Amino acid sequence: MSANLSGIRHTRGFDVIKPLSIMTLIIVMMPLVLLPLASIFIFGTSNGLRSFWNALTAPEAIFALQLSMVTSFWATAFNVVFGLFAAYVLSKYNFWGRNALIVTISLPTAIPTAVAGFALLLLWGPYGILGKYLEPYGIHLMFTAAAIILANIFVTFPLAFGVIKPVFDTMNQSLEEASATMGATRWQTFWHVTLPSLRGAILSGALLTFARSVGEFGSTILVSGNLAGRTQTAPLYIFAKFNEGQVEAANAIAIVLALFSFLIFSVLFFARDWLEAE
Amino acid sequence: MTESTGKTQIAVTVEGISKKFGAASVLEDINFEVSEGETIVLLGASGSGKTTILRIIAGLEAPDSGRVILHAKDVTKIPARGRGVGVIFQSYALFPKMSVEQNIGYGLRLRKKAKAEINEVTDGLIELTGLQEHRKKYPSQLSGGQQQRVAIARALAYNPEVLLFDEPFGALDAQIRTRLRREIRALLKEIKVPSIFITHDQEEALELGDRIAVLNEGRLEQIGTPYDVYTKPATEYVATFLGAANLMLGIINDGKFEAEDVFLKIEGDVPVRDRQSVKLVFRPEDVFLRKPENLTQNYQPLTDGFIEEVNFVGAFERVVVRLNISTRQPIIVTRPKTETTAFPLTIGQKVKVGLVRFRILPNYTLASERASRVV
Repeated sequence: MSANLSGIRHTRGFDVIKPLSIMTLIIVMMPLVLLPLASIFIFGTSNGLRSFWNALTAPEAIFALQLSMVTSFWATAFNVVFGLFAAYVLSKYNFWGRNALIVTISLPTAIPTAVAGFALLLLWGPYGILGKYLEPYGIHLMFTAAAIILANIFVTFPLAFGVIKPVFDTMNQSLEEASATMGATRWQTFWHVTLPSLRGAILSGALLTFARSVGEFGSTILVSGNLAGRTQTAPLYIFAKFNEGQVEAANAIAIVLALFSFLIFSVLFFARDWLEAE
Repeated sequence: MTESTGKTQIAVTVEGISKKFGAASVLEDINFEVSEGETIVLLGASGSGKTTILRIIAGLEAPDSGRVILHAKDVTKIPARGRGVGVIFQSYALFPKMSVEQNIGYGLRLRKKAKAEINEVTDGLIELTGLQEHRKKYPSQLSGGQQQRVAIARALAYNPEVLLFDEPFGALDAQIRTRLRREIRALLKEIKVPSIFITHDQEEALELGDRIAVLNEGRLEQIGTPYDVYTKPATEYVATFLGAANLMLGIINDGKFEAEDVFLKIEGDVPVRDRQSVKLVFRPEDVFLRKPENLTQNYQPLTDGFIEEVNFVGAFERVVVRLNISTRQPIIVTRPKTETTAFPLTIGQKVKVGLVRFRILPNYTLASERASRVV
């Protein structure tokens, strides 16, 4: 963990600034971050574990969790492969429009997720610019699991790319040159030399994309139609159950998602050294 | 192409290589050959183009004109992977996620050799380079010297046409450098693979090379054995780059070197015309200093002078002598311990300066003179 620790003594006796500033930090974070997170667990287990378990194992709840996992998996798989490919091309080759492409790939983070979902509907919906050509063939892309995957791909597009490209940029060119002089084709060099060095970046890119995907709400609620048991992901489930007044049901899934995010970010945090290792 | 027995074969030919980067000419008409089993050192300062030549031979850069021929095959148009060269990079470029064994076997794995063969060759090379204890380790666990040995073993695994070393000792401590230099030289003599080193370190060049090629701003100034290049430099740049040199301007008059008050008889053939402007070149270790009363016969007297500075430099003494001519030119002289104990000299002392050996080089002050080159 990087830090900029200072060993200077600023006062003659006891320095009250240090404990004071740490306390202030925690006090500010309390109502904004720490307490909200704690509330999920306090409230969710207030009626006992049995109640919690029942809410969790309701068929619609299980379906929502499964759907989230599956759609996020496919979105992640696509974005990691594409991110890898894009990072390679944009790092290795210089061409007119290169910077424009890099900016375009990074755009999805700046676009509000509701706008992203809406845009997808405009394109692929039954009266959409392209969707209207698919409609006569009975191909409905929107309001399906496929739509959720498309929306997730859009929204998490730059994440894996953003983690992988810097590794390409700072990679020692001599390694690839050495491989070439030893007789390797471009593909052999990529497979044997470049890819192993990208292991860490690919993994953190994948974890980041997956976590973000699971939590996606704004675009999903538009393109999926929020149909319980059909196209309702976990975050949508929480929203729907809360609107229906079934707070406990919502709470149970909220706990699962919160724990899941903690898990992913713990891995990203504690394994950082291994992930960034040369 | 077969050569008659008794004559060494040529392994590498570099013919008419030129290269420009934008408007700047980086290499101009480079020509040289490397014989089978020979080690050539390309010596030059940064920016002299030596790295570019190496990369062109390896196939990592393309020349603007000229050819590269490896074992009678013109490889100029062939990309790096088809040339079969072994390159040892300055940073060694070992594959970080592969062990020492896997690094060494990489070239053979690429060529889809049988496992048994790969193991046999790898074992042999690990033995040759003394890496037995380290074979399962990863590059990050090795010292600089060990990494270098892996780099060499890795390049040798697929029987390269030539070994190319890019300033291989730059990243190492001075003590390790000298030891490794000797080890590498011994190794190269044993395996008899032709090698090309590039370096800016003249001591390294003198010790490593069977022949040295001195490069100056993209041009090959001289190529020859260390002895030839050192004692008979062809140009002022070579004289001052390899070892130290004192220079004095003068002319040739009636077959003798003449500067004001200085007359030197020139032995042997000197390719200069009468009345031509020349530079006298002599090395600090070839100067004889004696008090007027301690003269001996076996040197050519230059002129008189007096001692300006005396510096103790460990194994010898470095003296600055101010010459008694109108230019009051200072020269550098080094005196070995045998001289300094037998004939100690102090600051201010008047001395007679004599030369044991010297060179005469044409003085290229005019562009036209340089262009003609042949005198």
